[in-house]
Amino acid sequence: MTVNAKQAKVRFNSGKKIGLGQIILLLCVLLFTVFCAAPVLLVFISAFADEMYINQHGFSFFPQVWSMNGMDSVLRYGNQLVQSYLVTIFVTVVGTLLGLLIMSMYAYSISRHGFMLSKFLSVFLLIPMLFNGGQLAGYIVFTSWYGLKDNLLLLILPLCVTTMNVIILRTYIANSIPGELMEAATIDGAGNYRTFFQITLPLLKPSLAAVGFMMATAYWNDWQNALLYITSNNKKPLQLLLINIQKSIEFLLNNNNVPAAARAAMGNTIPQYSSTMATVIVVIAPIMVIYPFFQKYFVKGLTVGSVKG
Amino acid sequence: MKGFFHNTWKHRAHVVMALPAFLVLLFIMYVPMSGLVLAFEKFDYSKGIFGSEWVGLANFEFLIKSKNTFLTMTRNTVLYYLLFTAVGTFLNIVVAISIDQLAFKRMAKTMQTLMIIPVFISYAAVQFIVFAFIDSRTGLINNTLGTNIRFYSKADYWPWILLIVKVWKDTGYGSVLYMSVLAGIDTSLYEAADIDGANKWQQIRHITVPSLIPMVTVMLLLSVGNVMRSDTGLFYQVTRNNGALYNTTQVIDSYILNQILKSSNFGYTAAASFFQSVVGLLLMLFANFTVRKIEPENALF
Repeated sequence: MTVNAKQAKVRFNSGKKIGLGQIILLLCVLLFTVFCAAPVLLVFISAFADEMYINQHGFSFFPQVWSMNGMDSVLRYGNQLVQSYLVTIFVTVVGTLLGLLIMSMYAYSISRHGFMLSKFLSVFLLIPMLFNGGQLAGYIVFTSWYGLKDNLLLLILPLCVTTMNVIILRTYIANSIPGELMEAATIDGAGNYRTFFQITLPLLKPSLAAVGFMMATAYWNDWQNALLYITSNNKKPLQLLLINIQKSIEFLLNNNNVPAAARAAMGNTIPQYSSTMATVIVVIAPIMVIYPFFQKYFVKGLTVGSVKG
Repeated sequence: MKGFFHNTWKHRAHVVMALPAFLVLLFIMYVPMSGLVLAFEKFDYSKGIFGSEWVGLANFEFLIKSKNTFLTMTRNTVLYYLLFTAVGTFLNIVVAISIDQLAFKRMAKTMQTLMIIPVFISYAAVQFIVFAFIDSRTGLINNTLGTNIRFYSKADYWPWILLIVKVWKDTGYGSVLYMSVLAGIDTSLYEAADIDGANKWQQIRHITVPSLIPMVTVMLLLSVGNVMRSDTGLFYQVTRNNGALYNTTQVIDSYILNQILKSSNFGYTAAASFFQSVVGLLLMLFANFTVRKIEPENALF
């Protein structure tokens, strides 16, 4: 959409007087917003509510007793928490940057006119979306053929290139970057690499921001690959830590053989309410903080078109 | 042929640029396809994929004989796909149009920001949030209603719980894609309709909705190939992988994940996996074929 069209739209909308319909619509959207936001709010409230209070009165949006117990018990994970943070940050940053670079190069290549291989490359990109080996085949091939086990590559590579993201980047190149611009650069003597890195890549920024942010979220939130492949503590990402916490709570709840001393050390209750919520905050907070900076690219940068070139 | 080589050499820079992603796709997506032959073998880890004993269709026979598990998980997978796709697409469009139509632009923006947040929370974390709502003793729902419903042991409730969680998590973000289409609609269309005396409803029906159709088609087509695949986190994490709920919550993907973690019966698991891949492919080809017959413009390939 051009700037002119956007301005015209704003004028068009604000020129109308606000009627009853608008008020009802606003209330409906507001209601849905509350539905989406309330559970997140509950996490923050519960993390700072008193463990014993929740144990006795249940979760509440208005707890009567507040406490920092939850946050304290998160800090008790100490080094493991720091280590898991580092692993998750490493995987997220490396995976996202690598993925953006190689996917945009691929998208650029298949959108070149007169490049005969681009048809084949488009089909090659599309097939994995139609047909793939599934979890089990992947698991066996990665562990037995590639010999990768307990390796961070298994957290990075599987999420690195996705058909959908290449399609989004490709659509953006086709729709929003004038082909004449790149042709002109070539005529002026810029090589293919230079055209890509100095003309296309900077213009691709809105799409890179939107896709990159979604990739970063996918990396940050990936628990499945970690659960399947990661065994050693120093490679454990945050999500696996979260799963382990859940498992140990279940273990303690279902196991009567836990020594009395251990139970007493935990204040006679297993810290499972405010402390898990506090852990959830620690895990989701970084994304919440970064997200508003990227939101402006969402509508502009995420458009999907057909794959056929 | 000579022309082809000449063309490729001329575009060698593009070949080089496509190569890294090509290799990742090859090793991560294509090579594991060969693992599908496991479905016809009695897999032995030490002998590898091509060394294991060939057993023909035995794995499939077993799978079909274990009727209950297999039928239940296939039924669940398909029904959840239909439910989520129908409700999800509808809500995505309704939310996108509502936000687009709101005259309070700044408020609309803020509300959209809040709506998108749940998509960024992993299912490993979501399950703690769901617990806070539905636990039988401390859960918010039971406390508010003064009841003592044991959601974690009653399978009947779970289709609704999972639907609500899915809608909560994905609707805000799902509507963004449709908003990008709405933002691209030529505003002169609305102005012309306005002059011709069309009211808001008529404008939405005759301008907004039709312009969303191609996007809806593309998104549905992209999803059809995944009929047999599910959002594993939703079914594995949110249900806490609770055996008592399998009747309504076990899907093929969560079954396979469980089997891999228990490392048992790779043969049957592979058969289920094979079934999943092949059915997905057939449905996708069929769907694309149908769309191409009706509206060639909207077909995916």
